[in-house]
Amino acid sequence: MTFAIHYASWIEFIRARIRVQYMYRFAVIMHFVLAAVTIYLLTLVWKSAYAGRTEVDGIPLQLMLVYLTIGNLQVRYLRPEIGYDIVERVREGKIGFDISRPLSYPSQLVATAAGDLIGMLPMVALAIPVAGFLGELAPPPNWQAGVGYIASFLIAWLIAVELAMIIGLVAFWTLEMTGFMMVYNLVGSFATGALVPLWFMPDLMRQFVQLLPFQSIVYVPVSIYIGLPATGSIGTALLLQVFWAVVLVFAIKLIWRRALDRTVIQGG
Amino acid sequence: MQRLSLLGTLAGASIRSELQYRANAFSSILGGILFQITGFIVVWIIVARFGQIGGWGLAELTFLYGMRLTSHGIFYACFSQMFEFDRVLITGEFDRYLVRPMPPLMQLFTRKLRINAFGDLIGGTALVFAASMAAPVDWSPLAVIYLILAIIGGGLVEGAVQTSLGSLSFRFLNTLPVRSTVNEVFNLYGNYPNTIFPGALRATLTFVLPIAFVAFFPASVLLNRTDELSIPAWLAMASPLIGVLLFVGAVRLFRLQSAQYQSSGN
Repeated sequence: MTFAIHYASWIEFIRARIRVQYMYRFAVIMHFVLAAVTIYLLTLVWKSAYAGRTEVDGIPLQLMLVYLTIGNLQVRYLRPEIGYDIVERVREGKIGFDISRPLSYPSQLVATAAGDLIGMLPMVALAIPVAGFLGELAPPPNWQAGVGYIASFLIAWLIAVELAMIIGLVAFWTLEMTGFMMVYNLVGSFATGALVPLWFMPDLMRQFVQLLPFQSIVYVPVSIYIGLPATGSIGTALLLQVFWAVVLVFAIKLIWRRALDRTVIQGG
Repeated sequence: MQRLSLLGTLAGASIRSELQYRANAFSSILGGILFQITGFIVVWIIVARFGQIGGWGLAELTFLYGMRLTSHGIFYACFSQMFEFDRVLITGEFDRYLVRPMPPLMQLFTRKLRINAFGDLIGGTALVFAASMAAPVDWSPLAVIYLILAIIGGGLVEGAVQTSLGSLSFRFLNTLPVRSTVNEVFNLYGNYPNTIFPGALRATLTFVLPIAFVAFFPASVLLNRTDELSIPAWLAMASPLIGVLLFVGAVRLFRLQSAQYQSSGN
């Protein structure tokens, strides 16, 4: 019975969010215009760096460009919007309403993020051919890579949502986090591997980035797509992602419980 | 003269008001530095592995990046309020500017200070200093003066573009998404040698969206690389002057467009 009720409210949250994405479609379009502009610049920069060589460290230029094109579309698509939402709700005190709903707040956030994912889909569909024109697109080398990528993309989405949630929940303590969010976006966008794939990073930096969950958002799925899976095989790469997805669930549970204890709503 | 001292007073007041919230000011500056450092790390990693981008080595690219970043800091310190302009129009705040003796545009610019501009200024200056020894620049006093003028000129180029586009808000009210995107394009394309771009884009980034005048042309002058450019050397040398001219033009355009202002009413 409770499942049926919750199922219905999940659907409602997702629907509402799809409408929001549609309402702000101009902003979403600008968002992907920026993705296209970035992809084009990276393509030109890396072409110049390769300087006529067809392959460096066993990575052909063409594969490198496919990596950058898909990676940058993906990092824009999985942007952590719910992080900002949490901060706003906390600052305006509206979080009180959110908490009093029968569906738990973290579940509401996941439903919201699912709505974002679906709501942005038409724009992504439009952005893909443009990105392919400015950058480089190619099908995965075999069907395993294709299927592996889809699975890996979905886990990447979950990890992106979890990380955004953790960063957002910090607002329960600090009430202010624009600076923090900025650091997350930047260090995050860098550590995801969207701008430079891990195989070209200096050793020390790569070892550091490999310890962080961010690489699971872009580097791991896209490396599966192009047929050079991060950990050597598709199976272990997916396993690494699942590991982080589970660890982060526990982290959120812990933080959320403490955040609830701290919450004081000052009237309304 | 009186106007200048008034400008100083207003700038001082906005700096003091920002420093009231020390922790926030500090984290904003730090955020500003980190924001741009990420972009630089990308350049650094590529050069560490590949040796060059467009024939420019690490020292030269760092110098270019630093110059662009410092110019951007100047732009942001002086003209950041252009990003609030749409809201100033929509809320009717602009009505107030019209009844005061100071030019409306100057009132807009001095409205508030974005403290994270200092992050760009600190980060950019540090990069320029770090690169200045290793980069093949002949550091005569003239070169130092040119560097300073070029950095100010670069800030004016960015200010001119944002002011011109912003003046269109008098007609269309909402131009911020477009201007933010243009700002991002400056932040991305301004940091790399223009010569790595295909011909049409190179021309566009010179004559339509004058990104190359912010840092790439003056940096080429200081690094003695003007022979690689697709424009004559004297034009590249004139970059600081072009910044001034573009800015004067933008202020004119803003004044012209302001005739279209229709108050939102209160």
